Amino acid sequence: MTVGAIIVDGVSKRFRLERNRPSSLKEAVLRVGRTRDADEFWVLKNVDLDIAPGSFFGLIGHNGSGKSTLLRLMAGIHRPTVGSVEATGRLSALLELGTGFHPDLTGRENVYLNGAMLGISRKQMTASMDDIIEFSGIGDFVDEPVKIYSSGMYVRLGFAVAVNVSPDILLVDEVIAVGDEEFQRRCLKHMDMLRDRGTTIVLVSHNTDLMDECHQVGWLDHGKLVKVGTPGDVVSAYLQMVDSSENTLRAHDI
Amino acid sequence: MQFSLSPSVRKSITLIYHFAERESKSRYKRSLLGWFWSFLNPLVTVGVYWFIFGAVYRAEPPMTGNGNAESFGLYLFTGLIIWTLFTGLVEGSMEWLTSVSDLRKKIYFPTETALLGGAASNLVQTLLEVMVLVVIMGALSNIGWTLVFLPVAMVLALGFGLGLGFIVSVLNARYRDVKYLMGILLNVAFFAVPIVYTPELLESEEIPEAARVLVEWNPVALFIEISRDAAYFLQVPLWNRFLAALAWSVTTFVVGWVFFRKQSMSISEEP
Repeated sequence: MTVGAIIVDGVSKRFRLERNRPSSLKEAVLRVGRTRDADEFWVLKNVDLDIAPGSFFGLIGHNGSGKSTLLRLMAGIHRPTVGSVEATGRLSALLELGTGFHPDLTGRENVYLNGAMLGISRKQMTASMDDIIEFSGIGDFVDEPVKIYSSGMYVRLGFAVAVNVSPDILLVDEVIAVGDEEFQRRCLKHMDMLRDRGTTIVLVSHNTDLMDECHQVGWLDHGKLVKVGTPGDVVSAYLQMVDSSENTLRAHDI
Repeated sequence: MQFSLSPSVRKSITLIYHFAERESKSRYKRSLLGWFWSFLNPLVTVGVYWFIFGAVYRAEPPMTGNGNAESFGLYLFTGLIIWTLFTGLVEGSMEWLTSVSDLRKKIYFPTETALLGGAASNLVQTLLEVMVLVVIMGALSNIGWTLVFLPVAMVLALGFGLGLGFIVSVLNARYRDVKYLMGILLNVAFFAVPIVYTPELLESEEIPEAARVLVEWNPVALFIEISRDAAYFLQVPLWNRFLAALAWSVTTFVVGWVFFRKQSMSISEEP
């Protein structure tokens, strides 16, 4: 398989709902024999998706449509219940706040830890450390434990690591929205650069302007991939659906 | 010939090193004496047990290998080293897995590296204790080539403790009761292992045969007997004891490893 390709093949993902989940041995024992069918929830249903190496792919959909879960499956954090996900090459993921930082370690230690998780040696990481600190703009805070960071600093450092390890695949989940305007622009510029270098980028966002930058956009609705195509087609179909459901809501109000 | 490792193995080794370093650093963080505690802790433990069981209860230790001393302190130490390594691995595993479970929800990495790293750090700790042990052995002039069996006993205990740790850490990620349950079980187990008493003490009519067999053939007791042969009696361990210990160690490690590999992917889905 080519480096940078992502193949999602017939993937379904089931989660168990927490309220019905036994959290102690006692509860688990008391529950033996009871049916649990109702506790399950299918977040993704039979999703097929081929993302070519070097493409910039956008994922769009309402809250809870399964976008983040799909991204996590690509990142290898979860295993699909049915089907398979293959992502070849060095994969860097920015999922929600904190992106794999350990709160008690300093920013610098976390950079090394993240590097280790990507299979990058300490030596190589030291070489790109200055770039990472520079890009994140967190300055001396790099030697403070990340638990004292502001959410903006968290994201900035996370992004700085993710883009400075020369990934083959970059997964970004909405996080850059947390940074200020200036940082957002720098991120976009950097993503453009990575894209030009041939990095596959998968981006989850509600920002339709950002979606226009993508080669392809996929629209997830209640766990189903309903449409994949050019940004123009998919985004307008999505917006149409949003508008029509808003109208239905209004009709109810009246 | 160039020896090269596959990228995923290299990645795991980097991570194991990282977790080991982190565990070692955090162990005595914000302490003035730092690593000094590593020496003080086992010495005080041995001291207290020696006072209670040796001086107060007048335990009678067997003759040491050199035939001129009966050192209850050394007798205790040879047992405690293995016991501390074993319990450290079982209790540590649960802690090490818990400490990375949040991280694992945000980024993929082979979770077993956290346990292997923690185990490596524990092993370093044990090696420091071995240094103290060798000094004591030297002071009693009870020292010999059989000391090479001490690392063997340590490796056997490592395999068994880590194998058990693999299993209980995954169970503990699901049900936090496991941690408390293990705390109690280990407390009980301490007395099922001949550390503060000699196995000969059980050779009495009042003690049921089953209890004697349990104490003689339970895995941790086997490891301790090997360590005692190596550092106290200065004799080659019995081959049947060694084989039994090896079987326990290898089987537990393999079962634990397979179980962990199978279950650890779902850790990212635990609440």
